[in-house]
Amino acid sequence: MSLQFNIRIAKHRRTFIAIDHFEFPEQKVTFLFGESGIGKSILSKAIYGLLNPLRLDIHINGDSYPDYLRSARTQKFREAGFFVFQEPSSHLNPLIRLQAQLREGSLADAPGEQEILRHLWNHTPEQEIRKLLEVYPKPHRPSGGEKQRFLLAMAFKKLLRMQQEGRAQEGLYVFDEPSGSLDNHFRNRFLEMLFQRFRKGPFSAIFITHDYSIISEIYSRHADLREQIAFKELSRQDDRLVLQDFAPRAYLDWLKLEQSMETPPGDRRKPLLTMKGGYEIFGKKMIFRRNREEKGPDPGMLQIHRGEIVYLKAASGVGKTTLAKIIMGLQPCRRLEMRIGELAFSENTPRRVWQQQVWAKKIGMVFQHADEALNLNSTVQAVFAGLPIQPPLTPASIVQLLNELFEGTIEPAFLNQKVSLLSGGQKQRLNLLRTLALDTDLVLLDEPLNGLDFLSIQRVIAALKEKQQEGKAILMISHNEEIFEAVIPVENSYYLDFAGGV
Amino acid sequence: MRKKLLEHISSIILVSAIFLVLIYHFHSGYRQVQTRQDARIAPYLALDFIDYDDPLHKALLKESLNIFQPGQEPAHEALIRAIEAYRAAQIAALTRQQRNLQGLSFSKLGQLSGMYVNFILVYLIVMLLTYYGVQTLAVLRFIRLQQNRESYLAELASFLQRRFRDQPKTLHLRDLRRAAALLGKALLKGLLYLVLFSPAYVIAYSFKTRFDTDSIFFMVLLGVISNGLLITYAQKFFTFLVAESRKGYVQTAIVKNLENRYNLNAAGGVSLGRVLNFRKRFPGHVFQHIFINARYQYLATIKEQASFLITGLVIIEMALNIQGHLCYELMQNILYRQYDIVLTIILGIFLVVKGTELASDYWQYLEARRYDNEGMG
Amino acid sequence: MPLLAQLQTIYQRKDQLWLLIWLGGTLLLWGWNRLFLNAPALARVETGFANTFIIALLVILLSAALGWLSGVGLYFLEKAGNSLPYLTLSFLLNIIRSIPQIVGILLGYILITVQIQSGALQRPGAVIPVIAMVISLFVFLEISDLVRERIAYYRKRDFYNAMQVCGIPEWQIVNREILWRNSLAHLFNKLISIFGVTIFLLCSIDFIISVGLSGNVSSVNLPATLGSLLAKIDSKQDILAIGHVLTHPGYLPRLFFEHLQGITVAFLIVFTLLCIYKIANGFARRHEL
Repeated sequence: MSLQFNIRIAKHRRTFIAIDHFEFPEQKVTFLFGESGIGKSILSKAIYGLLNPLRLDIHINGDSYPDYLRSARTQKFREAGFFVFQEPSSHLNPLIRLQAQLREGSLADAPGEQEILRHLWNHTPEQEIRKLLEVYPKPHRPSGGEKQRFLLAMAFKKLLRMQQEGRAQEGLYVFDEPSGSLDNHFRNRFLEMLFQRFRKGPFSAIFITHDYSIISEIYSRHADLREQIAFKELSRQDDRLVLQDFAPRAYLDWLKLEQSMETPPGDRRKPLLTMKGGYEIFGKKMIFRRNREEKGPDPGMLQIHRGEIVYLKAASGVGKTTLAKIIMGLQPCRRLEMRIGELAFSENTPRRVWQQQVWAKKIGMVFQHADEALNLNSTVQAVFAGLPIQPPLTPASIVQLLNELFEGTIEPAFLNQKVSLLSGGQKQRLNLLRTLALDTDLVLLDEPLNGLDFLSIQRVIAALKEKQQEGKAILMISHNEEIFEAVIPVENSYYLDFAGGV
Repeated sequence: MRKKLLEHISSIILVSAIFLVLIYHFHSGYRQVQTRQDARIAPYLALDFIDYDDPLHKALLKESLNIFQPGQEPAHEALIRAIEAYRAAQIAALTRQQRNLQGLSFSKLGQLSGMYVNFILVYLIVMLLTYYGVQTLAVLRFIRLQQNRESYLAELASFLQRRFRDQPKTLHLRDLRRAAALLGKALLKGLLYLVLFSPAYVIAYSFKTRFDTDSIFFMVLLGVISNGLLITYAQKFFTFLVAESRKGYVQTAIVKNLENRYNLNAAGGVSLGRVLNFRKRFPGHVFQHIFINARYQYLATIKEQASFLITGLVIIEMALNIQGHLCYELMQNILYRQYDIVLTIILGIFLVVKGTELASDYWQYLEARRYDNEGMG
Repeated sequence: MPLLAQLQTIYQRKDQLWLLIWLGGTLLLWGWNRLFLNAPALARVETGFANTFIIALLVILLSAALGWLSGVGLYFLEKAGNSLPYLTLSFLLNIIRSIPQIVGILLGYILITVQIQSGALQRPGAVIPVIAMVISLFVFLEISDLVRERIAYYRKRDFYNAMQVCGIPEWQIVNREILWRNSLAHLFNKLISIFGVTIFLLCSIDFIISVGLSGNVSSVNLPATLGSLLAKIDSKQDILAIGHVLTHPGYLPRLFFEHLQGITVAFLIVFTLLCIYKIANGFARRHEL
């Protein structure tokens, strides 16, 4: 049996989401892939009954949205189900303590809270968890990963209660990017609990994600449930959305066949970037290790040469993005000992030195959230305006640049397209291209695969390989370890860690 | 907070010092010669056959000068104006003497203090009433929005449309009653809007031309309902409510199955008693999440609201010419050029604004401190 | 687009709807006055209306310029670590903020009066821009605060840093990318509100001056506005008739013929303030500000 929906969503009489067959099997866990911004979240919210009929004109299976919301099935989805939203920071009330938020509404008398928290916070002392419960959620405390786990804990409390009442099958459980803020360790703890509960009694769940490495985890540790798990991918075809089956094997095979990006031979006496002995930030000493297990007292040295690709890993919340900002002079830190080419930098170097000597000249950086990094109110062409490139980019050269990462032939009219109207994947590729256009020797990439579908991932990896072959050095920062471990030689990997370990 | 406190205190000290110097300067000026004659105009003032109160005489003087000294028309114009200015100053000085107005004295200061206390009292009462009114009106409007209710006129139009489509040939009294009720509500709402947007003096002069009795009650009433204060800040609070209702945490509250209906007094809805309560709480309802966040944002606008209110009260006191009130005194003293008193009153008003800013910043600081987990491990 | 669909669109776009209501209402009122108000009184009302709107328009232009310049200026001064000019400027702005607008404008009017009496301000056409300048000085802070708020909002996000590390000049990020491309709707909405505030303050100050300071400024020729017209004794009698209607409803029709000057002026002020409020709200709602 499967749940089938025909959905139309319009605003100001303009239909912006239309799909004829949005369907997924009942009493199974469906993993839903697709590039960000394509409509996975809004479709899931529509069927769960979370959209506002006053703001959007919605029709589901021919019914108006108010009628759909009144239907017995939708009411049961909501009464017996749960929705874990992405962006955990904005989904917790900043003016109510976490404990109160974990115990209100249908969660008030739900059982198993302690066990759930203990499982999701593996190894964390009980006292620490209790302290966290007393906190009002603020941007930096609890961390993104902790907030994410609180939202997951809510879902599990509800699930446990419904399973005890024998109503879990009536509900719909939606997990929207639930592992976006979790490192692999905590993601796997969460998956373990999800499948543990599923084994106790099946329920219908939609799991929206861009994390293709989940496939490997399922195939290796939860293979017994392969029949109860479906993989689907949402894509756009001629202005309509299409939901198709995704073959997990395609990903696993690509991973196996992908060639490692070996450093071409060259002069290794003049590194482009050297960071000696780590640095200190927010009162914590940070160091580089060559592998996760190494626990030596001497901090390692991060060094990148021309034509080299270096992969920097770290547990979630350790500060990978902060390190990228330190290298770019955007985040002050203590005990900095860094060289960019011939220039030496310390904690006392003023920001203007980076502005005059480094930005867009020696290093280019791609920020992780394209939605924030780009001006959504500008046009595609305007994204490239103001870049210090000689001669300045012409529309023809921008089209040529876009062709590197965009599918099909780019029409000149695309240059006048508003950035806000592009899909998440298109924005991310535009974000990448703006920096690549600068033609700097070193490119710093912070989560470049964020929000991309499988096809775009392959295209971006191919483009990066090409850049590397041209002699560019790349510092890759990503939590997507499975993919980058497959394409970056192990000797080029660094592990960022607290001096005393986590 | 320390930085803000320092900023407020330093501006209080600096501005007060400047004002005190100016007050002293103007006050000591009264002991000197009240009016000085400009040597340029002295010969013309000595011509006792010219009546400078008569516009015809002034025009004749100007014309004569233009004829006998051609090409100096602007200078003659300036001369006439200088004579007028001198005479105005002379009249003001004379009035001061006649009315025994000798600037700031201890008895005057005592009188002003009484008026000042009165002004602050009215201000505090109006502030409290608008604080309550703003939140209550905004919550009621938000509930109406959530109920998806149309405006009364739109409701009337769709009622008539439905009525004539379903039963085109019959007309019942109850239909007429319903249509009349909707029309009446629409008119009443329109009228209420006009009242809430009326400047205080438009409302006040619709009822009276002199204001001397019940003035405090009248000022409080006008302060609350007029000048657009209540409606502007109710709209602000309403905007905060709408903005907050779109935030992610509200969706989390919904999926936790908190009550999410907005029918007044219905099961699972919002109780009218709670809406009308001074301390509004909506336990077990999604609206509690929305309300506390909107209220937190509203705290930041209280300073601005207070400043707007003070402007409104000053307008009311000045425009209605209510004797014995601070701003009436301000106007009178501008008229008689007693600038030491004028500056004293303005300094007093400045201190009220600063006091409010201080109190509001401190209140905000206390709230922020609580929610920023300060004092926790 | 068919007419019905166009009307429906306008009905949904409340800012445009209320702009039409305001224009329609004002025109209707003018037509009525053409028929039933005597010519000299009508000319006075027209002049007062025109002066009020010219001053309000000048105020929003000046406020936009002052607000943008001071907001951006403060931001760059703060960023450059140039603490003395920054502290001085922000201190001055804070002092302006702490003076109730009406008191500040009243002091400004006294200065204008002195200037007129001394002959420094001679041409009547020069008084209007000076009045606009005085009012702008006490309302532009709202724009200045908004400019800084918008810059701060984008500074906190990757937007700013991402553009900077691409070598895009900072003045361009602030002025073009943040303010021009991402804040125009916010600024425009604020200017609509300032337009309303200006009309309120201008009418109030002119009313106050005409009622309370007439002795002092009678010899000075300030431009007639709706506020000063309302303060005239015949207009005051006209609005007093509104209250009379509450106790004598039969008197209502006479309001529209015998008390037209005062009723017109009062209605124009109140109706304009209401429509501006509705336009600003509709605009904010349509642009989801």
